[in-house]
Amino acid sequence: MYTLKQKNWKISENEITSENLFNKRRDFLKLGAAALVSSSVVAEKLAAVESVKRASLDFKKTLYGKDLELNSFDQASTYNNFYEFSLKKDAPAKLAHTLKPNPWDIEIHGEVQKPMHISLDDIVSSYPLEERIYRFRCVEGWSMVVPWIGVTLAHLIKKAKPTSKAKYVKFTTMLDPEMFPDQKRGLFGNIPYPYVEGLRIDEAMNDLTFMAVGMYGKILPNQNGAPIRLVVPWKYGFKSIKSIVSIELVEKEPLNTWKLINAREYGFYANVNPEVDHPRWSQAKERKLGSFFKNKTMMFNGYEEEVGHMYKNMDLRKYI
Amino acid sequence: MKKIILFLVLLLPLFYLLATVQSANDPIKYIFTCTGLSAIVILMISLAIAPLKKVINLLKYRRMVGLFAFFYAFLHFINFYVLDAELDFAFVIKETLDKPFVYLGMISFVILLFMAITSTKKLFAKFNKYHKAVYLVLILVTIHSSMAQKVLSSLEYAFILSVIVLLGIRVYKKYVMKETSNKI
Repeated sequence: MYTLKQKNWKISENEITSENLFNKRRDFLKLGAAALVSSSVVAEKLAAVESVKRASLDFKKTLYGKDLELNSFDQASTYNNFYEFSLKKDAPAKLAHTLKPNPWDIEIHGEVQKPMHISLDDIVSSYPLEERIYRFRCVEGWSMVVPWIGVTLAHLIKKAKPTSKAKYVKFTTMLDPEMFPDQKRGLFGNIPYPYVEGLRIDEAMNDLTFMAVGMYGKILPNQNGAPIRLVVPWKYGFKSIKSIVSIELVEKEPLNTWKLINAREYGFYANVNPEVDHPRWSQAKERKLGSFFKNKTMMFNGYEEEVGHMYKNMDLRKYI
Repeated sequence: MKKIILFLVLLLPLFYLLATVQSANDPIKYIFTCTGLSAIVILMISLAIAPLKKVINLLKYRRMVGLFAFFYAFLHFINFYVLDAELDFAFVIKETLDKPFVYLGMISFVILLFMAITSTKKLFAKFNKYHKAVYLVLILVTIHSSMAQKVLSSLEYAFILSVIVLLGIRVYKKYVMKETSNKI
């Protein structure tokens, strides 16, 4: 009788792990390890795995920051100050799945001739998106370099035609306790909500001032302020307000959240300045994420040439 | 046996720090947080040993627990001097004189250093009355740890509550119980 002799190393087709599954083995191992800790950790890990899938964006590259060494996406998306979720920096990445970034409207109103609502889809599809690599310096003393994708703020504001009374711009984060768990806690919340930030009109119209809808080639992860956030690279990070729903042009300087909380330590301007210390810590140097060594902090975070002229006659020790 | 177990438990924060610091996003800040929290919690444990002696008697090991609190405070200081200040001695002095956040920590560290040095049997007999300064350290480090945050979280409130309890017990024992015994 003829028999087909199988080599003994040969395994049958149905024993072979599909490539898809094989590629997921590390996630699986991580989940297995997490299961040993607790089931809530597993849920968080799953959420983190989910949020990694992000839609791609069409954008053109620019020369902004082309010589800077980028931080990893992992660093930029797991070290977030987003008090609407938690005071802990690693928590927003796990909790931000409650944020629903689509659909999303931004209102541009106040001292403008043409008040308007812009949807996120409008911004993504009808504006030419560009990538800009900026330094990002937190008031706490850490820093990173991030490739943002978006449009200049000037681009958006010009559409609404500001009037001559528009001296400042006031930005407001979404207020929705269903999306942001800490907003449910009322008086016991981490900070007063909604989060408010502001810029002087010349700062707002500066070419560096950017509205980001994405980073690292794709749309913003929720924990980084999806679907749209401000990026003001020469100011401390708290000025770069996340998940914006309102851009209001106003006549008087708006009271920003951190100045409201502690005006002695945080001002309206919050320009990065190595010579003016925070009352509790030095601002002369910074810790770039992922490094055991410190770098010198630069005046206006390295953007003095582009923005220094706006503060020529101001006492930067007084206007913190 | 009890002593070895306690010793190993008190070393756990260090092992945890060593195992996780490589993957920390902001390593210097992470070392500050780990060593600072360890020091403050272990200091509180050392001060909870006397009031709890009827529940579990660890009085014999109180010196060791206290020395561990100093050990983590020492690592905390070394992190400031070596990694944060990059061995710039003038910077350390300037910051210490300049910023309440820093000098509260420094005063506490110096007191803990003094207590560690004078914790041998011989020196303790001579200096133990000054070891009451630990209550000052307890208050200062709680303020220091609160000042390390931009806004207070439940952890800082828990520390403040613990300080009130730890000091309250002592005040109660010293004044209230004494008074009642005087009346009798």
